[in-house]
Amino acid sequence: MSGDNGWPTAELDDVRRLRVMAASILGARVDERVLPRTLDEVWAVMGDLEGGFGRFQPDMRDVRVVRAGQGRVVALARSRFGMRARLEGTLRPGWCWLQSRFLIIGMAAAPEPGGGTRVAVTGGVRVPVRAAIVPLGVRRELDRTLTRLESLL
Amino acid sequence: MTAAPGPGPRNGPPLGSRPARAPSDGRDPHDPGVSLARAALAGDTLAIQDLLAHLAPYVARICGPIALDDGPDAAQEALVAVFRSLRTLREPAALYGWTRAIAVREAVRVARRAARARPAELADLPAPDDPELAADIRDVLTRLSPEHRAVLVLRDLEGLDERAASRLLDIPAGTVKSRLHRARESFRKAWSA
Repeated sequence: MSGDNGWPTAELDDVRRLRVMAASILGARVDERVLPRTLDEVWAVMGDLEGGFGRFQPDMRDVRVVRAGQGRVVALARSRFGMRARLEGTLRPGWCWLQSRFLIIGMAAAPEPGGGTRVAVTGGVRVPVRAAIVPLGVRRELDRTLTRLESLL
Repeated sequence: MTAAPGPGPRNGPPLGSRPARAPSDGRDPHDPGVSLARAALAGDTLAIQDLLAHLAPYVARICGPIALDDGPDAAQEALVAVFRSLRTLREPAALYGWTRAIAVREAVRVARRAARARPAELADLPAPDDPELAADIRDVLTRLSPEHRAVLVLRDLEGLDERAASRLLDIPAGTVKSRLHRARESFRKAWSA
């Protein structure tokens, strides 16, 4: 790929960006899978905060978007155990990053060169006032998230 | 590719003209990158996300010409290095120079690791004002080693002088200058042959 001035430039897709985000947060891990679906098909589920999102994110039950515009979104979420969270962040095709006081949720999807769509997820319970995640059980939760997502597609 | 943020030209001219420095080079306390870095250092992951969106085009613009086909890997690894060590950045105002140094070093490292670069034969390096160059930048770059592509990027894309480029790359300034001179002469001979 070349920029307007003729020099080659590197392309950083959203899955690569999510890996960078996870690297910046202590305790964060990234789980990835390649699904045999188009980006549009995958994101129709992943990016549907009030629908598909709550069906594959393990602890999300009710999610209600209270504000959205210019890529930013604010949503109120309730977990299966009744805890509430005010999630704030960015949502656009292929990218979702949300944080509340005690949660971080990151999702990305990008076309895979060999076919299909690579999806990646990260996040967990946030350590307040730090870019850090409580590392306990993170790998298992992310794996569950992708298994549920796969079953929905 | 969206316009590159941060320092240096956003969509600079071809190799021909030396780009002017952008108004913000991290010294402006109101620079968005610097204020995002401060918020990111305080643990705000939305600020980290926005800082990533701010820096990614800049890093990609540096890594692309140095790592070529491995540019995406180089940009990812450079940004991982930048964000992993963000907490060691004592002065956020130094953000761009710090990021540039990491990006160049990671791009050279990834390109060398990929073993796709040819040995350093600088005979093909053009002068910045060669008009024929614009269409052949990638072709010229593929014939250079990653280290020499890095010199070219720092000099012609980032607008650094040879002394500053040599300092960043830890190469003697005189060596850089003499090699560039010799290379330009060889390139002209190739064109006129």
